[in-house]
Amino acid sequence: MKRREFLKTSAVAGAALTLNFEGLSAALTNHTLAVESTPDMVAVMGGEPEAMLDRALQELGGIEKFVKKGQKIVIKPNIGWDRTPELAGNTNPKLVQALVKKCLDAGASKVTVFDHTCDEWRKCYVTSGIEEAVKAAGGVIVPGNDEKYYKEVPLPKGISLKSTKIHEALLEADAWINVPVLKNHGGAKLTCAMKNYMGIVWDRRYFHQNDLQQCIADVCTWDKKPVLNIVDAYRIMHQNGPQGKSAADVATLKSLIASPNIVAIDTAALGLFNQVKKLDMEAVGHIGKGEELKLGTTNLKKVNIKRIKI
Amino acid sequence: MKSFNHLKWLRVFLAALFFIPIFLLFVDFAVLIPEGVSKILHLQIIPAFLGGFIGLFILQIVLGLIFGRIYCSTMCPAGVLQDLVNRVFCIGKKKKNGIYRFKYTKPMNLLRYGLLAITLLLAIFGITELIVWLDPYSNFGRIGSSLFRPAVIWVNNIIADVMMSMDNYTFYHVTIKTVTTASLVAALTILVTFIVMVIFRGRLFCNTLCPVGALLSLVSRYSLFKISFDSESCNNCGICERTCKAEAIDSKNMQVDMSRCVDCFNCVSSCKKGSLQYRFKPSFKKEKEAVSSMATTTDPMVNTRRSFLATGATVAATLPVVSAVAKTMKKEDEEVESRHWPPVLPPGAINIERFKDKCTGCHLCVTKCPSQVLRPAGLQYGFGYLLRPYVSYYDSYCNYECTICSQVCPTHALKPLTVEEKVTTQIGIATFFIDRCIVNTEETDCGACSEHCPTQAVHMIPYKGTLTIPQVEPDLCIGCGGCESICPVNPDRAIIIKSNLVHAYVEKPAEEEAIEIEIDGFGF
Repeated sequence: MKRREFLKTSAVAGAALTLNFEGLSAALTNHTLAVESTPDMVAVMGGEPEAMLDRALQELGGIEKFVKKGQKIVIKPNIGWDRTPELAGNTNPKLVQALVKKCLDAGASKVTVFDHTCDEWRKCYVTSGIEEAVKAAGGVIVPGNDEKYYKEVPLPKGISLKSTKIHEALLEADAWINVPVLKNHGGAKLTCAMKNYMGIVWDRRYFHQNDLQQCIADVCTWDKKPVLNIVDAYRIMHQNGPQGKSAADVATLKSLIASPNIVAIDTAALGLFNQVKKLDMEAVGHIGKGEELKLGTTNLKKVNIKRIKI
Repeated sequence: MKSFNHLKWLRVFLAALFFIPIFLLFVDFAVLIPEGVSKILHLQIIPAFLGGFIGLFILQIVLGLIFGRIYCSTMCPAGVLQDLVNRVFCIGKKKKNGIYRFKYTKPMNLLRYGLLAITLLLAIFGITELIVWLDPYSNFGRIGSSLFRPAVIWVNNIIADVMMSMDNYTFYHVTIKTVTTASLVAALTILVTFIVMVIFRGRLFCNTLCPVGALLSLVSRYSLFKISFDSESCNNCGICERTCKAEAIDSKNMQVDMSRCVDCFNCVSSCKKGSLQYRFKPSFKKEKEAVSSMATTTDPMVNTRRSFLATGATVAATLPVVSAVAKTMKKEDEEVESRHWPPVLPPGAINIERFKDKCTGCHLCVTKCPSQVLRPAGLQYGFGYLLRPYVSYYDSYCNYECTICSQVCPTHALKPLTVEEKVTTQIGIATFFIDRCIVNTEETDCGACSEHCPTQAVHMIPYKGTLTIPQVEPDLCIGCGGCESICPVNPDRAIIIKSNLVHAYVEKPAEEEAIEIEIDGFGF
């Protein structure tokens, strides 16, 4: 048994050596046997945000797989509310800080962070701790409070939403990473990766007027898709979302999910959410509509998922 | 003697000391100036009077009794603004047409004391319109918030655009939402008035229309320090008269009308002979030595006293008329109020009557509100609410834990609130119209209102199928307007804040125990 496994490992390592050094080093430092191909999705549980991010990226083949030298990167967290990190209204600032640093270490020429906030934007940026986190990591946090920053973009695949104004930071970026926080949501029922797109557009009222769930799926059809979605589920808001009233709305799950597949990651996040509060897939209409628009699959059996507890 | 020439520079220094922070308070859109700076506004006479800062009010009167109207040349931002206009006007002009363009005129006592009396009288009847329109500080505030501030923001936006193209985000673009037609018209009117009056007649506003000027003139005429002529050295050149913005120096008769003098000390500086001096000269002393000359010349003091009495008598005679006007004005208000929903009052206003009595429409709250949710009213809430701030939920809402408006109000028309008090003050209640709601009419998910509700007073309850529809819990609602501001229904929204004309108080949402939730699997 042991010998066979050793042989298998060396064979794979040998193959990796000839093909991909990074795969080998990842396999060696991980102490996992790289018998599987790189997963489509990694779920990590039980660590601090930085550690879970480290591990997830490692499993996915390293940040370098998504961020190339010299690229302009946008990181889009959820900074919607004038809420402290403990209340889980916004993406965990530690996660954002670690991710900005990773992108810069990978050679990104510039890492920009913004959100079109709901509460007054300066308060959100400060109270969420994200402005400080981004600056500490060497990134740039830019405002998203004025229509001036948004430019019209066509969405030919959209059904209810045919075009919308998107923040220019994203239009100019070479790649972007979507970093939502997992929360209950009064309107969309659940807010995660797809719903986080509502922070890149100017006119959200149109979404509410013209079938919210469909518009969320429609905006996700925009050509420039995130190279990676990273769901912050360190603390989740399981009720009274998306703003929350108190710490009683928060569950600390110490989890993180990462995947380029936006529909699959939202499906998985809903599964995680269901561990705390019952919520039907059917109610979160935009996930199914996303699948109909060929943005990904809700069938997690088809997805190569790596689940890790640390 | 020469040292007295420094008086003018001392005045300029003091003016800068007060004017610069007040100016910055009104143009600062990035909340760079600490809130505490607004405390200096309690020194403004009308705010001190209305806000019940009796000590500060008395201090100003005492200062007036000792030094004359130094207030008008240092602490009053409208006065200093007029001096700045004058300074700018004089640039590049010959002295004759510039700094020496004034000449002595007789005081318009009937007008100034009449206006002062009517202003006070109407205020007693609960009509503070004249205070709103005439208070120099509030007029400056409106110029600051509706003209200077937009200009500063405009410059900021140009800088921001340039810097942003160079990848620098120190400055950011700001869109102004708080300038309304009413506030713009009011600000422009008064600024043009100031400019025209200053150019042709110097400090005419301060000596005719300004109730603070009129009030201070009643004490400054008896001030211990006065500007007076030294008849021996004076060669009657008349330069002092021509440099006097208050038109208060009668150089032929060597008289200075201290009731109009604003202590700018330009005359002291201008006199080459040093004949004009600011010195300790109590009135009782002076009367004795000058009694003979006074009897012959037409003494402005005597004149003033007489016309003040006459004014008093006239005003007393018009008392019934004023009270009748007051009554009809109130009636008009009621009629308007019954037609529309009344204005939502900012937190700290307590009730509409109190608020209208104390608010002078300086718009400092409007400029300081980080959400730009406060707007100066036009006539939509009736004449009696003109230029007062109301909470407009058209495209913004009141930040849950923010108390800035109440902290900066110089008259305490908005009583300072703690965060605890703010989050329990109910300024209005969300009212839901299901027949307009998208969930009902379109049968699609929405929930934008509930999403923005900080207390979940607006929460979603099961509706058809997987749809949920909002429901309002009035006991939790504080009227922040998050729901109304975001409701996508046009033109009449499906959820609207109905104002509490007397603010109510809700209980602070009970602290729910955070439950430890443990999971052991991913669930997928």
